[in-house]
Amino acid sequence: MAKVLMKGNEVIAEAAVQANCKYYFGYPITPQSELVAYMAKRLPEVGGLFLQAESEVAAINMVYGAAAAGVRVMTSSSSPGISLKQEGISYMVGSELPAVVVNVVRGGPGLGTIQPAQSDYFQAVKGGGHGDYQIPVLAPATLQEIVDLMQDAFDIADKYRTPVYLLGDGMLGQMMEPVEFKERPAIELPEKDWAATGTRGDGGPRIVNSLRLDPADLEEHNNHLQAKYKKILENEVRYENYMTDDADYILVAYGTVSRIAKNALQKARSKGIKVGMIRPISLWPFPEKAFHETRDKVKGYLTVEMSAGQMVEDVRLCVEGHAPVHFYGRTGGMVPSQEEILKKIVEMAGGEL
Amino acid sequence: MQNNDQRITIITGHFGSGKTEISINLALQARKIFEKVAITDLDVINPYFRSREVAAQFENQGIDLIAPKGKLASSDLPIVSGEIYRVLHDPSYQLIIDVGGDKDGATTLGQYYNDLKDLNYELLFVVNGNRPYVSTVEGILETIQQIEMVSRLKITGLINNTNLGVETSLEDIEKGYQLTKAASEKVSIPFLYTTISAGLKEEVKDFAEGKEIVYIDRYMKLPWE
Repeated sequence: MAKVLMKGNEVIAEAAVQANCKYYFGYPITPQSELVAYMAKRLPEVGGLFLQAESEVAAINMVYGAAAAGVRVMTSSSSPGISLKQEGISYMVGSELPAVVVNVVRGGPGLGTIQPAQSDYFQAVKGGGHGDYQIPVLAPATLQEIVDLMQDAFDIADKYRTPVYLLGDGMLGQMMEPVEFKERPAIELPEKDWAATGTRGDGGPRIVNSLRLDPADLEEHNNHLQAKYKKILENEVRYENYMTDDADYILVAYGTVSRIAKNALQKARSKGIKVGMIRPISLWPFPEKAFHETRDKVKGYLTVEMSAGQMVEDVRLCVEGHAPVHFYGRTGGMVPSQEEILKKIVEMAGGEL
Repeated sequence: MQNNDQRITIITGHFGSGKTEISINLALQARKIFEKVAITDLDVINPYFRSREVAAQFENQGIDLIAPKGKLASSDLPIVSGEIYRVLHDPSYQLIIDVGGDKDGATTLGQYYNDLKDLNYELLFVVNGNRPYVSTVEGILETIQQIEMVSRLKITGLINNTNLGVETSLEDIEKGYQLTKAASEKVSIPFLYTTISAGLKEEVKDFAEGKEIVYIDRYMKLPWE
């Protein structure tokens, strides 16, 4: 398929269709409404089903139902809508249902703004809903990367029977870039022998449920979930190291912000400051190894986020005091500029611009 | 070339076809000839990357920007500014109207039907053959029909703006040229010109020979550009 020029939200939708997702339930919200509109037009073309629910709460429960029936299904929203979906997501975790949930993040808290932000990191990475759980979180930085990560997101969801987040921001959703959809060989996935597809005299009814009244039974279930998370930690870490080999300082940024940071890094290098970058692609599982390998070699890290400081906590947990971890963030829909980041790098390196 | 006989130029097209960039360029080019130029941002579809984002540039050039202002500029409301009536009926103004994408964006235009129908206007349709759903003559025709239906106005000209963002090659432009030409013949709407990023001037020299080309600059930039 030749390259096309698409908007981020359209790419998310088309990538899901290419990953053989034929069911979408959602409710529009800026800045991801184009995704909903694209699905409304696209899914009937591939014999799928698009349904605009009456609310986000309804949408996530429809996703629960479709996932329980064993089909690939997704929903998407932006920050306030994702908050509404938390109960359903926790239920899906409890019932071990695979699905992809896309959050095109906007500035918060509250209704906030429609401008881009990364302030839902904690919500995505640290749980969000009730109960002991983790959700794999993938954060693309380019529209082309969305194509690959969407396929990964559905595969991880099916492989481990878990909801998976694709975390972007309004900028990623609204910007346009050329993309190419390449045929990717399907990986072998476990059969969905748990799906509630109706009995055919082949055993008792299959029940998909998150209610476990016996505490011993629920504890056992929790142990089972934790064992699963351990496997995900071992197998599903994704990150990019950029010019870290000779680096004295390392920037840490994900998503669109990493692209701004990369340019600031080049400018710092032209001033003679050796800067590299670690770009976490999976935010959970967080790429610990990238920090363990560098923390005794560098003089400091600078985490840049469109938040008041969220991922920086995970960076500090990985660096464990071996080197100083600095932070620079903008909030409320404001986007850090290359110049601002450069100034922080120079400051960190003890110089002046 | 921009037709200076028409006082009002309305830019429509498929969502993401490059209407805003073209509108901004046309406004800046018109200002070189005319004393009074206004650009109206009717985009109620996109939440970002709208012509109102280059407000400072318009102010510098003495171009009136007619768009929701202040807090309303980035509000999540499908609103347009009533100020459009000031320039719509003032014959001393050249007016560029930047309409939101597809029929949904063009619906906004429909409310000005009674004002526009007796005025001297051109209604242009922008083609980007690298966008899904308008990469074929049929797709273009369907979008044109829908836009004409909701706006109650007839498209008077086609613009080929086929591009692949920063990866645009001569091949893309040529492909779009043929596509727009075919669409133009099918619907009997004149093919006016091809817009090409000014940065590609050298590369497209041979192609441009004998053709109507408008070179444009990009104003909607991302923070890493």
